[in-house]
Amino acid sequence: MKMIFDWLDDRSGYRNLLHEVLYEKVPGGARWRYVWGSCLTFAFFTQVVTGTLLWMFYSPSAQTAWESVYFLQYQVWGGWFLRGVHHYMAQAMIVLLVLHLMQVVIDGAYRAPRELNFWFGALMMGVTLALSLTGYLLPWDQKGYWATAVATNLMAEVPLIGPAIQQVVVGGVEYGHHTLTRFFALHAGVLPAMLVGLVVVHIYLFRKHGIHVKEPRPKKDSYFWPDQILKDAIACLAVLLAVVALTVYFHGAPLGPPADPANEFPARPEWYFLFLFQLLKYVPAFWGAVIIPVFLALWIFLQPFIGSTRPGHQLNIGFWWTLIAGSVALTLLAFSEDNANLRHSAALEEADWQAERVLSIVQEEGIPPAGAVTLLRKDHENRGRNLFAAHCASCHRYNGHDGRGYPVDDAQSAPELAGFASVEWISKLLNHEHYISEEYFGGTKFKNGTMARKVLAKYTAEETALLPRIATLLSDMAQLPYQTPLSEDEREELLALFYNDDLVFQDGLACIDCHDIDSEDEGHAPDLTGYGSDEWTIAFLENPEDERFYGDENDRMPCYGRDGKLTNEEIKILSDWIRSRPSE
Amino acid sequence: MSDFNEEESSGRRKFIRVTTIGISAACGIFPLAAGIPALLDPVKKNSGESAKVPWSKVAPFASLPEDGSPAKFEVVQETVVDAWTTYKDIPVGAVYLTRKEDEVIAFNLKCPHLGCAIDFRKQTNDYFCPCHNSSFALDGSVTTENSPSPRPMDTMETKVEKGQVWIRFQQFRPNIEEKIPLS
Repeated sequence: MKMIFDWLDDRSGYRNLLHEVLYEKVPGGARWRYVWGSCLTFAFFTQVVTGTLLWMFYSPSAQTAWESVYFLQYQVWGGWFLRGVHHYMAQAMIVLLVLHLMQVVIDGAYRAPRELNFWFGALMMGVTLALSLTGYLLPWDQKGYWATAVATNLMAEVPLIGPAIQQVVVGGVEYGHHTLTRFFALHAGVLPAMLVGLVVVHIYLFRKHGIHVKEPRPKKDSYFWPDQILKDAIACLAVLLAVVALTVYFHGAPLGPPADPANEFPARPEWYFLFLFQLLKYVPAFWGAVIIPVFLALWIFLQPFIGSTRPGHQLNIGFWWTLIAGSVALTLLAFSEDNANLRHSAALEEADWQAERVLSIVQEEGIPPAGAVTLLRKDHENRGRNLFAAHCASCHRYNGHDGRGYPVDDAQSAPELAGFASVEWISKLLNHEHYISEEYFGGTKFKNGTMARKVLAKYTAEETALLPRIATLLSDMAQLPYQTPLSEDEREELLALFYNDDLVFQDGLACIDCHDIDSEDEGHAPDLTGYGSDEWTIAFLENPEDERFYGDENDRMPCYGRDGKLTNEEIKILSDWIRSRPSE
Repeated sequence: MSDFNEEESSGRRKFIRVTTIGISAACGIFPLAAGIPALLDPVKKNSGESAKVPWSKVAPFASLPEDGSPAKFEVVQETVVDAWTTYKDIPVGAVYLTRKEDEVIAFNLKCPHLGCAIDFRKQTNDYFCPCHNSSFALDGSVTTENSPSPRPMDTMETKVEKGQVWIRFQQFRPNIEEKIPLS
């Protein structure tokens, strides 16, 4: 064995090199404050290795990016773990960057003769941020798509060449295949190569000038190996354990629903860019994209010179603390504004719903070559709630929201439709108090109609007792998928009740005086034959002004089919969706 | 090694060195280790589940030459899953079909040697692989001595139903004597 190493040393001189690397002098002894650079190197190394492994699974195109990430996350053995480590290590890297930077600034290690290395460090910070920005888009989910759109639009703010830069980076005017191929080439090729080069120079310069000691020296001098390396290794291990803990706790990195330019999503960058996001609420985009970065770059360039005097050094430290404090404040503000915003939480819940929905469809039918986004677009469940939100929710509600979970700004002016035509829903409708409340017809002219004034308001206790049974009969005709149908006998019995002459209200009105049921009398109130059934609901949505329904008594309910507002397919999807489940 | 460590016991020094090497090695190996299961995933998926080969409809029985000479057909499979994508009705390979009375014999187009596409030669009425010159008789058996191909052409299960030829299309492991399906 020794012979082989001797031979190798003779030909390569590796022992000298190793000695040089390991026996670097650490003046003042090994200290914890020196570990951040090594931790960053370790983090970057982890990203290169895990990134290369991820590369084996990733396919950069608009039809395959999300799909290949989905496959890795859910189908590949341990894929979620690999992806999770890469994701959380990227976040750890940002934290480590700030720690390293602050250590360098506070210790004054950025001053002569180390100015050049400080600038290289700043460049590396820029490259790392670019890496995280480009990586954010690659899964091609809603979050990455919408956030990166904002980021690249900021590029267009650069004077004269901005729009051209944007087009070059995006690979065209619109987001698509070439956005992904370019971002991927940047993320996995260009930027890491730059970072490797910068790391080499950074470490060379660091070695050239040695460790900058903060006086007074706490201990006598020691060597890099093994004292400082032990501290570095323990710190790296702590970073690693934190990343593993996050990965296991969240079961890997999140994957939202597939990117869809037609499906709105509140764009938010990764948490460490939130301060910039928040800042753009107060300053014009030009400031965020150009003035502030240029000012920062200039300031960083000048800092070593400013710091050559004691007050200058204090100013520099103060500058970074202020920057950090400001960023933390803006980040907290961004979080708290989002938390207080009901629409924002609803949008996040909606995205979670879509992500789960697309997973369950994929499990059933697989992903077509056109991509997973087409599954959601043609999914009746998803289309149903979107159609409701777009066409019904300005007047109606669904469990109090717009069908997708969003609050509605307009006042409710038509009935709540969750659990429509169920026994529970009809029972409530037949209660005067509910009928004239906003939950049913309180916002319509029927509030003061015959049904409210002459019928429901005048029930006797005996009649009221019969109402649940009438509701059961009516609801049975709806043939709702979640309700058990009545037996023939039960139905007969309840029908007899409906035609019962005893059930005549004080001013002589029975149900069948106005409503038809299983007859052709064309009473002037809506025909209740097959009430709430597939056929009835579709016909009603097509034309509520038909004689069969409200006729000319209709109060603002649009005739979706007759007036061509919705296609037959859409009406069917909407009807299926409204009838699909009980209210919550 | 270093003069200012002299007073420390060699036991403590050794402990520090071993710990340092141990932790550094753990950190160094970790990124690769994190991806090993994912990397080996294809091997894991291939083992064991060779069971269900679906039937694919290939051609009408009437379209096969009555004299028993072979005809080449594309095999279109109803559902093909390639990693994340599920394809419907796409070609997965090709076969030579020959009539034998009421039955059909199917040969995979791929040479059992190294997977080149085999030609049918009309003049000599046999199969010939243009890559490494393996030749096969109409029944698929190897006809050359020292043939590069270690086994006859690969046959697959067929059936004729309502005038249509159906096949359980499969690929096999190349260049070994035994015919082992790839699943």
